[in-house]
Amino acid sequence: MSAILEQKCPCCGGAVEFDTGAQRLKCPYCDTEFDITAMPEDNSNQVEQVSWNSQNSQWNAGEADGMSVYACNSCGGEIVADATTGATSCPYCGNQVVMKGQFSGALKPDVVIPFKLDKKAAKAALKKHISTKKFVPKAFLSDNRLEEIKGVYVPHWLFTCDTTADASYKAEKIRRWSDENYNYTETSYFDVYRSGNMGFDNIPVDGSTKMPDDLMESVEPFDLSQAVDFNTAYLAGYLADKYDVTAEECMPRANERIRQSIDDAFKDTVKGYDSVQSQNVNMNVVNGMYKYALYPVWLLNTSWNGNKYTFAMNGQTGKFVGNIPTDKKAVAIASFLLGTGIGALIYGLMWLIELL
Amino acid sequence: MKKRIVATVITLFICLSSFISVSAYTDSHILDASDTLTNSEYDELESYATYIENTYGCCIMFCLTDDTDGMTGDDFAKEVYSSNTDNADGIIITHDLWNNSYHIYVSGNAKQIDDADIDAMLDAYDSNEAYYGGINDYLEKAEEIIAETVYSYEEPAKGDESPQDDVPSNDTYDGTTDEKGGVPLWRIPVALGIGFIIGFLIVYGIASKNKSVRMQKNATVYTRPGSLVITGSADNFLYKNLERREKPKQTEKK
Repeated sequence: MSAILEQKCPCCGGAVEFDTGAQRLKCPYCDTEFDITAMPEDNSNQVEQVSWNSQNSQWNAGEADGMSVYACNSCGGEIVADATTGATSCPYCGNQVVMKGQFSGALKPDVVIPFKLDKKAAKAALKKHISTKKFVPKAFLSDNRLEEIKGVYVPHWLFTCDTTADASYKAEKIRRWSDENYNYTETSYFDVYRSGNMGFDNIPVDGSTKMPDDLMESVEPFDLSQAVDFNTAYLAGYLADKYDVTAEECMPRANERIRQSIDDAFKDTVKGYDSVQSQNVNMNVVNGMYKYALYPVWLLNTSWNGNKYTFAMNGQTGKFVGNIPTDKKAVAIASFLLGTGIGALIYGLMWLIELL
Repeated sequence: MKKRIVATVITLFICLSSFISVSAYTDSHILDASDTLTNSEYDELESYATYIENTYGCCIMFCLTDDTDGMTGDDFAKEVYSSNTDNADGIIITHDLWNNSYHIYVSGNAKQIDDADIDAMLDAYDSNEAYYGGINDYLEKAEEIIAETVYSYEEPAKGDESPQDDVPSNDTYDGTTDEKGGVPLWRIPVALGIGFIIGFLIVYGIASKNKSVRMQKNATVYTRPGSLVITGSADNFLYKNLERREKPKQTEKK
């Protein structure tokens, strides 16, 4: 059982949505706009709690785990969602609802980056993304159908820390010279050591198992300077999930990225060698802190040829990513034609050289 | 991916360089790939060889090289000859300085020169310590032999397109016929092969941009500005390894 929250227009009672252009709440029915702060965080007088008990025992043990049932405040319709859904829309009346229990107490996000780009921008970005790619199957361009587009606030854990680290490298210097009879190559080997400090701010790690990690990391970075304190009003009109991967579970990924960054940064200070190879990096994380944030991401699902393709757009910066199928036949033909052309050019160059 | 492209470009460059190293001799009688002769020596020998060809109609070539482009010595001699003249009648001696070996290719009516005369030409070159003097002696000996031997036969009728048909079958050094001008046909598959590899790499590079979803390698973008401080640094020398390779002998003739 869960309570839900709807942002209602004080003028007409319609469900209000967050407007990305105005960065305010707007009623789509009467066009009235409201500041986020003007809306009550919790309209408790409108919140209704309804108990739903199974009347028969058809669910097997554990089968209903991870499932939550809510009642729409507007129409009374039953909203079935999974355990992590934090905001969605009523399938019957379309009202945007926020499961406030998902963001209360310890589950309340520290910050949220509001959507800056709307659905229209996401659609345009998808079109541009596909049209600018080469060797895309023609059928994909014509037949692929945009099945779903949704703005999702994706839960992220943001890790901030200072690090002290030391790293060792194997380096080589190569010197070549000649005398009358011999060519000489002298390779000198060095053991290089570096230690130092480095700080990181707000490294994001995806806190939702629903979202592919590679997709979420591909739309990075987000500009956290535009983040605001969390308010459920920002979720109006979008989907949202609460985290289902804890900060502790996300730490290894953050550490992995930190370690690689330290390795890269320290390696850049090893100069004057012909080659440098990393041996090992030891790091200590101090002053480590993490916070919980919701990042805006547009997800676009298309289908073609029985396969689903998921694209994502950073809802703040507009960075668009997504894998597109490649027409292998077109690649083969293009390789052949280009190869033939280059081959002919090379042969022509041989002719020219012969003539000179 | 980038490494593969660089490797291919380098391969192409090396291949083209090898073509250039051979074809730099084009239209010359004296071919000095090892850069042994001075300019004035080269000019003098070249004009002498040109005089012989203009006078007797027989092309006399000499090639100093330290690289046979991966070919056998005989194939290299034939390749150099056919790449540098369209005269069906002639002889070339190549001196591979790296291996200190000689290779001879005889074409057309010059095949009438017998083994003893060819040995005499080689001896003329070999008996002189200096390259310039040796080549000059070789040309003088060749002129003498050509004047006596080769052109004592009846010249083929004008318009006869295949002078090799008249060549006696007692071929001493090379029984194959001469290739006439142009780029050898074997270079076509080589050029196409290189073209296909480059073409595929370019197309593959473009097609790979269709994949834009990948994990981030590091968190460099989240590094706090100015936070990198190196507190300890040590570069310790471990050991050194010296390799010595003998150079090809270019300054000594034998």
